[in-house]
Amino acid sequence: MLEWSTAGPAVGAAFLASIVEVVEAFTIVLVVTTLRGWKPAVTGTAAALFVLTAIVVVLGPLLDQVPLNVLQLLIGVLLLLFGIGWLRKASLRAGGVIPLHDETAIFARETAELSAEVHRQNTSQDWIAAIAAFKAVLLEGLEVIFIVIAVGAGRGLLWPASLGAIAACVLVLSVGALVHRPLARVPENTLKFCVGVMLSAFGVFWTGEGLGVEWPGHDLALFFIAGLFLLAGLIAAKMVRQPISEVPT
Amino acid sequence: MNILKDVLTELFSMFVADARLTAAILALVAVAALMIIGMNLNSLYGGLFLLFGSIAVLFLSVRREAELRRIS
Repeated sequence: MLEWSTAGPAVGAAFLASIVEVVEAFTIVLVVTTLRGWKPAVTGTAAALFVLTAIVVVLGPLLDQVPLNVLQLLIGVLLLLFGIGWLRKASLRAGGVIPLHDETAIFARETAELSAEVHRQNTSQDWIAAIAAFKAVLLEGLEVIFIVIAVGAGRGLLWPASLGAIAACVLVLSVGALVHRPLARVPENTLKFCVGVMLSAFGVFWTGEGLGVEWPGHDLALFFIAGLFLLAGLIAAKMVRQPISEVPT
Repeated sequence: MNILKDVLTELFSMFVADARLTAAILALVAVAALMIIGMNLNSLYGGLFLLFGSIAVLFLSVRREAELRRIS
């Protein structure tokens, strides 16, 4: 029987993190489609999805061979590194220290770069465009796979977490196909903030479980830990926000 | 080869975006492990150390990065 106190955060984290990653990959695939048509975009994307599937098929069964506490510790530490990195960046963006992610600007920059590359190279122009789509989908897809494994493997929740990621892909691609432009209105930093909070909370929780910590309230402790990280991230953003009078004109 | 290099760089930067942050988190985990396994303390103390230590590391890292960016 699925415990929603455990599955809910795992599915939610996989869903939100996947939205962020798929939006980023979608922007590059859209650049390729705009410049060279749908053929290289579909070829590159399909090839990347094939490689990602192969990675899951090869690595998936290996996870069952690792003892649970070792798996929790290993994944917990990686999640802590990844999650706090995201939360740190999201706090710096929320505090105005680093600029917000702008999909429209990224679309314009990537379009210019890919156009220049296509003109520079002697190889087939469609081939270069397909490689660009392949790299974008592969790199963002690897992050999605890691997050799904990280939030799902510690409690046998790989399927629910995968469904969360698939739902995010379907949602982003459906909206993207409808609007056919970069998804600039997705509140990416808010999503990254939430994902950073959830991954950091999972990181502390799994690392603790791997080391033998018996958290009070068991899985419910995850919500308390996430609440503390949320508060910490908000305070950190407020702490570095420059007062208006200090902003150079 | 270029693609493989990009993939490896991306994987590395996923976990080591900031070397100090990575070192601090790994040190926290090592101390928590020492408290729980090496010193046989109540495991919850190790867990709480890890939780509040991670939050402290987050604060210090955000503040340091903000100061560095304002100086440059």
